[in-house]
Amino acid sequence: MARVVILGAGISGHTAALHLRRKLPATHEVIVVSPNSQWNWIPSNIWVGVGKMTVKQVTFPLAPIYARKGIDFRQALATTLFPEGSGDDLSPAVEIRYTEPARSGETERVTYDYLINATGPKLNFAATPGLGPDGGNSLSVCTAQHAAHTAAELEKVVAKLQAGTPQTLVVGTGHGMCTCEGAAFEYTFNVEHELRTRGVRDLADVVYLSNEYELGDFGVGGMSFTQRGFTTSSKTWTESLFHERGVRAITRAHVQKVDPGVIHYEQLDGSEHELPFDFAMLLPPFRGADLAAFDREGNDITGEIFAPNGLMRVDADYAAKPFEQWQAQDWPKTYQSPTYANVFGVGIAFAPPHPISRPRTSAKGTVITPAPPRTGMPSGIMGRVAAETIADMITKGATAPTHTASMARMGAACIASAGTGLRTGSAAAMTMYPVVPDHEKYPTSAGRDETGTSGEIGLAGHWMKLLLHYLFIYKAKARPLWFLIPE
Amino acid sequence: MDTVTESIASAPLPTEKTLRRRTNLPYQVLRFLAINIKMIKIIARGHH
Ligand SMILES: Cc1cc2nc3c(=O)[nH]c(=O)nc-3n(C[C@H](O)[C@H](O)[C@H](O)COP(=O)(O)OP(=O)(O)OC[C@H]3O[C@@H](n4cnc5c(N)ncnc54)[C@H](O)[C@@H]3O)c2cc1C
Repeated sequence: MARVVILGAGISGHTAALHLRRKLPATHEVIVVSPNSQWNWIPSNIWVGVGKMTVKQVTFPLAPIYARKGIDFRQALATTLFPEGSGDDLSPAVEIRYTEPARSGETERVTYDYLINATGPKLNFAATPGLGPDGGNSLSVCTAQHAAHTAAELEKVVAKLQAGTPQTLVVGTGHGMCTCEGAAFEYTFNVEHELRTRGVRDLADVVYLSNEYELGDFGVGGMSFTQRGFTTSSKTWTESLFHERGVRAITRAHVQKVDPGVIHYEQLDGSEHELPFDFAMLLPPFRGADLAAFDREGNDITGEIFAPNGLMRVDADYAAKPFEQWQAQDWPKTYQSPTYANVFGVGIAFAPPHPISRPRTSAKGTVITPAPPRTGMPSGIMGRVAAETIADMITKGATAPTHTASMARMGAACIASAGTGLRTGSAAAMTMYPVVPDHEKYPTSAGRDETGTSGEIGLAGHWMKLLLHYLFIYKAKARPLWFLIPE
Repeated sequence: MDTVTESIASAPLPTEKTLRRRTNLPYQVLRFLAINIKMIKIIARGHH
């Protein structure tokens, strides 16, 4: 009998858990440790943030699903790894602290044969003074609860606009090293669409504030689309949407602090600015879950297993090298820890070898570069790959990973909502292949396959986004034939 | 005006026809199918 422990029940961890349970005979145990009782389809938080969906529509309780599937669920936070066991007990273990109200604060050591770290991002609001809704001066849509609070604040802004008071709404990234620009972009245009629908757009100044060097970078260094016989850059394509919808943009920005009603930011040229606002939704930078790790003798080995940003080292090439030497091969394929072969890191929890966008530092030495995005589809695929490898190790005695998926061999389909409504909605549907450019394979088209990289705006994109919402919630609930829905 | 503002101001605007097409039901049904096919191809390439 083997025991697999999965830390995190987000997109990657939950996918891994369901696949493992399907692949492994019932004699083997699958345990999921995650601090929240609810599963959240995070992409739809954007719609919660404009009041078009409720928290209930984007979340559901995990315990009944896990009970039905025969997965052991522990509502707890993982805190410390003991990958070699400790003292005389040689069983690898993870220490967890319960968050489940009935056992709150209780700790437990859970032993494992295999471990998947799928703890996703820690929302690092603390990186920028005054950032975030909990004690700070800005709003967020990163969790369903944050998004619901933000929707209520947006409602107040609409009321002021209706009363004839001009308002400035800022949406963007709250630090020079944020990722997820796509989410900020989506929220910007959903807010703009909402103001337009409510007939109060005239008095509103909508501003997109970003750490991207240019619009359309999205943390992947931008893309080129081929449309009607022309190649268009995602920069021009994105700028066109800003032009059409009258949204202002500030790029190359690192937010230094957020005071009540004023954002202070620095730009790549070293200049410093103040931006007054009435409403600001700024994404935080991400870091890892900050798990600690100890060897058998009790020595701290956190720095061996995790990168300084708390994300887990896997089979990537972490050697520091200049942008010109970055290669597709630097990116991990198996997500196995180089130190412990029975430990895997998937989704946002794995440490990328470097960004994808060209790194840039301001005249004052501040890094203003988007971190590489790890969106839902790649996160789900990684969860599945780690699950399949572990299942083969357990049932077939495989000694090395049997499944691979590199972000340099994976495409991404990004549907960025630009407004809701079955007849009036729209979304920018972008596909790109691969996520990480492969300059050897596609030397003449900026490292990407021209035929796999495209973008279009329209109502169909909105339908697609809505379809994905229902499809992924269906899949996450492990309803009949869930496994036929790809990640 | 700073660079990005200038850049946005000179970015191409969609024509009336393009805007109509973006919400035209029959055309969008076709695009919906096309986007689905594109996504399936991308997914097929990503799963080994
Ligand atoms: C607002 C927003 C919009 C987005 N929109 C899109 C989109 O449209 N399309 C797209 O593809 N992607 C989108 N993304 C990105 C997408 O949400 C992520 O790619 C995806 O959630 C990553 O999956 P994950 O499993 O790595 O992390 P998560 O889904 O965040 O899951 C992490 C899990 O780990 C748990 N956890 C945290 N710490 C611990 C711990 N110490 N111990 C145990 N468990 C822990 C968490 O509670 C959570 O359950 C969006 C992200 C945001 C913030």
